[in-house]
Amino acid sequence: MLKVSHLNKQYSTPRGPLVVLSDVSLALEPGDAAAIMGPSGSGKSSLLYVLGGLEPPSAGGVSLDGQDLLRMSPSEQASFRNSRIGFVFQDHCLLPQCSVIENVLVPTLALHGKQSETPQDFTPHARSLVEQVGLGDRIDHRPAELSGGERQRVAIARALIRRPRLLLCDEPTGNLDEGTAETVASLLLELHRVQKNILIAVTHSARLAAQFPIRFELAQQRLRRVES
Amino acid sequence: MSKPITLPRLVIQSLTFYWRTNVAVVLGIAAAVAVLAGALLVGDSVRGSLRDLVLLRIGNTDQIVMSTDFFRETLATDLGSHPDFVGNFDDVSPIVLAEGLVTTQTGSGRVNQVRVYGVDDRFWRFHGVEEISGPEGRQALLSPALAEALGAEPGATILVRVQRPSEIPLESIHGNKEDLGRTIRANMAAVVPRETLGEFSLEAAQGEVYAVFLPLRLLQQDLDIDRQVNLLLVSSSLDDGDLATATLEEIVRSEAELGDLGLSLRLLEPPGAMILEGSGGLISDDKERIALEAGADLNLEARPMFTYLVNSLGNDRTEIPYSLVTATDLAALVGTDDTFTASDMDPIVLSDWAANDLGVSTGDRLSMEYYVWEDPGQLVTRTADFEVAAVVPVDTGDRAMAPNYPGITDSASVGDWDPPFPIDLGRIRPVDEEYWDLYRTTPKAFISLEVGRELWRSRYGSISSIRFTPNPDPVDAAALEETVANYAERLATDLDALGIGLAVRSVRSESIEASRGATNFSEYFVYFSFFLVVSALLLAALFFKLSVEQRGRELGLLRSVGFTPRMLRRLFLIEGLVLSSLGAVIGVWGGLGYAWLLVRALGTWWVDAVGTTAVSLHVSNLSLAAGAVGGIGAAMVCIWATLRGLGSVSERRLLAGQLADEGVGGTRGRNRLARVGWIALGGAGVLLIAGAGTGFVERAAGFFGAGMAFLAASLCYLVVRFRRPAEKMLEGQGWWPVSRLGLRNVTYRPTRSVTAIGMIASATFILISVDAFRRDAITNVGPTSGLGGYTVVVESLLPLIQDPASFEGQAQLGLEGFDAVAVEPFRVRPGDDASCLNLYEPTNPRIVAPSNAFIERGRFAFLDSQPSTEAERANPWQILHRVEPDGAIPVIADANSMTYVLHRELGEEIIITQGDRAIRLRLVAALDDSIFQGELLMSEENFLELFPEHDGYRLLLVETEPERESEAVSSIEDALVDFGGSATGTADRLAQFHRVENTYLSTFQMLGGLGLLLGTIGLGAVLLRNVLERRRELALMRALGYQQWDFLLMSMAESLALLVAGLLTGAASAFLATAPVVWDRGGQLPGTLVLGLLGGVLVVGLVASLTATAAALRSPLLPALREE
Repeated sequence: MLKVSHLNKQYSTPRGPLVVLSDVSLALEPGDAAAIMGPSGSGKSSLLYVLGGLEPPSAGGVSLDGQDLLRMSPSEQASFRNSRIGFVFQDHCLLPQCSVIENVLVPTLALHGKQSETPQDFTPHARSLVEQVGLGDRIDHRPAELSGGERQRVAIARALIRRPRLLLCDEPTGNLDEGTAETVASLLLELHRVQKNILIAVTHSARLAAQFPIRFELAQQRLRRVES
Repeated sequence: MSKPITLPRLVIQSLTFYWRTNVAVVLGIAAAVAVLAGALLVGDSVRGSLRDLVLLRIGNTDQIVMSTDFFRETLATDLGSHPDFVGNFDDVSPIVLAEGLVTTQTGSGRVNQVRVYGVDDRFWRFHGVEEISGPEGRQALLSPALAEALGAEPGATILVRVQRPSEIPLESIHGNKEDLGRTIRANMAAVVPRETLGEFSLEAAQGEVYAVFLPLRLLQQDLDIDRQVNLLLVSSSLDDGDLATATLEEIVRSEAELGDLGLSLRLLEPPGAMILEGSGGLISDDKERIALEAGADLNLEARPMFTYLVNSLGNDRTEIPYSLVTATDLAALVGTDDTFTASDMDPIVLSDWAANDLGVSTGDRLSMEYYVWEDPGQLVTRTADFEVAAVVPVDTGDRAMAPNYPGITDSASVGDWDPPFPIDLGRIRPVDEEYWDLYRTTPKAFISLEVGRELWRSRYGSISSIRFTPNPDPVDAAALEETVANYAERLATDLDALGIGLAVRSVRSESIEASRGATNFSEYFVYFSFFLVVSALLLAALFFKLSVEQRGRELGLLRSVGFTPRMLRRLFLIEGLVLSSLGAVIGVWGGLGYAWLLVRALGTWWVDAVGTTAVSLHVSNLSLAAGAVGGIGAAMVCIWATLRGLGSVSERRLLAGQLADEGVGGTRGRNRLARVGWIALGGAGVLLIAGAGTGFVERAAGFFGAGMAFLAASLCYLVVRFRRPAEKMLEGQGWWPVSRLGLRNVTYRPTRSVTAIGMIASATFILISVDAFRRDAITNVGPTSGLGGYTVVVESLLPLIQDPASFEGQAQLGLEGFDAVAVEPFRVRPGDDASCLNLYEPTNPRIVAPSNAFIERGRFAFLDSQPSTEAERANPWQILHRVEPDGAIPVIADANSMTYVLHRELGEEIIITQGDRAIRLRLVAALDDSIFQGELLMSEENFLELFPEHDGYRLLLVETEPERESEAVSSIEDALVDFGGSATGTADRLAQFHRVENTYLSTFQMLGGLGLLLGTIGLGAVLLRNVLERRRELALMRALGYQQWDFLLMSMAESLALLVAGLLTGAASAFLATAPVVWDRGGQLPGTLVLGLLGGVLVVGLVASLTATAAALRSPLLPALREE
């Protein structure tokens, strides 16, 4: 379960502090899929990065499955992110020197054995994910040889390789045309249904948000649930 | 109110906004300018120091008048009082100059090759030295170096041994071969500081000056050269050195007398004729010709004569021992027209005294036995048969027909004779003494001049005198004296003092010319600093590119608002020019520091390269400007090359911050080119090795070419390999997969990675290759090595007249005390050292002449030669015997001296002057790394013809059992102590040259290594660029759980891959390239210096890359994820 309580986030600027999040709270169960909407600059991405432990909040707490991210050391946070959180960004951020399957496997390389997990072979799972995102025949291709939609599908597979409990997507279809965006969104939700994780997508696309059962709106630093 | 934006303002704002990157660019350019200007200043400093040194040493001397023989001291006064001298010249000082051996009386100190000067007050006044006078009596003044080497203090007694001058050539029959030297005892009065001419020297050489100043009168007295000198120092008030020399030459021509040219002219008693004689008992062929022509022009009747002492004259029944026989015109002597050609035997005319003594008459046969001195250094007895053609009264001849032979003509009786050759005084009969009492040197017999020349000719001449009779007879004694004076003046003019004995040299301009140096240190240090310059420029270019890339979006914006690529380039070029100029200003100061450091190093660590500690910084504005302009120019080229690619990048890509279009996979064309490259270059390498193996290609060249081809092929292969998709998938967990991900980053920008590898590989290749040419221990000592199989080299102050190669000669010289396998003598004409030990440009190189026997042996190895026959090909020494159609003289030099000191190639000529005659020496073969690096080698026959005045042998090569070298050295020095002999192991002699070469190599390696280290820091900059370019990837990876040390691991793997690939590629190619050299020296691996440098490169590379990565990661990565 993801529990966010009384989250505040502000940035220091020469003209004084800039508040982007104020008293944000939410709770999501495994299997929940939520979209967070809001205009540019409303703090959507900041909220996502705080949820992923990439950025510390100014106040408030974030816990996933009872573990408080904010109490962890940077190293524990990194390990936690690696094992529990998946990210999909607007820009796919694939490694150009690696093939499709290798890009999917990139998060698994950084397991250093100090975690309780025993070393395991993620390759079959990676292949399965690549198949599931519909790129089974492009498994050895490099990012330069893929279209924008295909690259984003690889990014989704990469985000799911560690079977994360929380999948955070930052404008996952922002760079795609309407048709491709539709396909990628469907794929995202389909895989979410299979893996039963918590999915949070930040978007300003109403069309994408409409596909999510839970929707929030971030406006004037506050998060408000939007009833369908 | 803010100012409106203009182009210059935009430039200034950009420069200040991106100040961090720009500081790096400026520092890079400053480093390049500093290194370039500093390298040029090193050349200026060496040249300036050499010039200072030589000018200090010559004092006020501008010109000198010199001769190989002695001339009258009063010539100085005559020159000084000549009308053309006054006003054009300041002063003239006569001195005696000799080479000597100085020892302390206690025997504790011994110094060879000392300049011995006979001077008086005039010398010090000439040089404007007020505080020194004399020396007087038996005082000696010493140079600081000589005093130190001897360990002598004022008051000490020193012994100075010099060669005794002899008017009679040593290698003629009457030359005194036993008593060649004189030892002068003197008391050391003081040490003359170098500032007051203590290091007076007319030779352009940078080494220590060992000099002793003795009283002129003492030297003249002890050397039996009363009021004679062999050198005049002249100081000129003319600014034009050439004009001064030409003026002085004319003055010398007009003031020189016959006596100054080795001739004497006197009236015979009773008057009626005059006689011209050579001061050494012989008149050279040239002088004879000119004297006869001058006599003919003055209508003088000439009778050349050659009077010779023969051992016996007689037949099988009776003989007259030790008689003087004159070769002359027999018909004129007898007073008939009979040419005595009726008989098939050569005619001889006897005095009636001799005919009576022998009991022979006209038609009888006689045999004549006589000595001749033959090369090499042997006294040989020869005989000739004659038929008595006439008998004449004994007074047909006269005493004046014989020249003055010391030990004979001045003796009271025959029993007192002491000639320089063996005679048996037991054969002297009472009648012989009676004859001597009555007739002295009157000849007992006469033969024809042609026959006399044939029998007794030597290289010094074939007549002893010419008797001139005025035609018609002069009316009185006064008229005869006038005729003599006219002839003397005419002959002195026709002989041309400067063509026959005296020479004028412009010492000051020659010294200044020579101080330009045999070695262009500017050029060398620019080469040595090449990697430093390139690395600094690359570093500057890298940072500049980084700054351009940082501003990719700005560029895109400017392009999209209407700036053309050309305008943008101009904008950046202006920025580049400003940065370069700033860098140049800093670099010029840095250059002064760099040059100071290098000059200090040359005076200390690298002193073997210059051979003197007297090197100081000399600053030339021209060099600083050249360094600055060169640095700015090179930086601008780099900046222009960086900007060149901007035109082809679209606005959209620029706005997206993408400047490079390269990705994994690359373009098909580039891939194909790289593939073709590595196959073709690899194939070429294999072919070159095959060619070298089969002898089709020269072995060293073949392997070196193959090494370079493999280096290039490897780089092409890496381009192909990096562009090819990975064969093994990245999977697994832990440090190794993360490291592999780092390794995979190498393929991210294949060209960039291969460029970095290529730079490290090239530098490694050069450092290791250069190290292979380091000459350490001399392992090859055989006959075809640089030692020629000889173990000891001997230099002698006094000439060895006896043949040191023969058993008899060795016995006479006392060299039979050790078991020499062979002794090879060489004739020597002293001259400038043509080896790398002399920094001054040799204008008159030392020449040595081996014997024909040495040439036949064909020892030593040749690097190259120009044979024209099979025999010359088999033994290039034989080329020395070749007669060149254009009159050039073939000479051989060591390849190193030829290339680096003489700056000549095979077939080219070196012109030296002998008197006023130019001699063209043509280089026909090059010895390979031999002990003959300081001289040119010429055949003995050419040597004797060109330089007959240089008697005997002064250089020996001795072959002994190798293990007996040190024993031989001390035995030889003991044996030749009176000759001033000094012996050295040949291996030590060669090692002396090697030390200089090795120092150059070390200098190159040290500066090259520094460049490589700087380049490695550049590698850090490359990695920094890579990291910065991939910040979004890194941010994502951080989001995915990668930690700081994962990134460091990746970075280390990447930089290790680049470094190791560069080092291995360079090292492997270098080993292949230098395999023959390494093999020849016994498979010796590179020295510790190189290994240390390469290790340093690895460490610095890793540190630089890790620092760069850490710096990049220190800035927050999250904003990179936000960039949309």
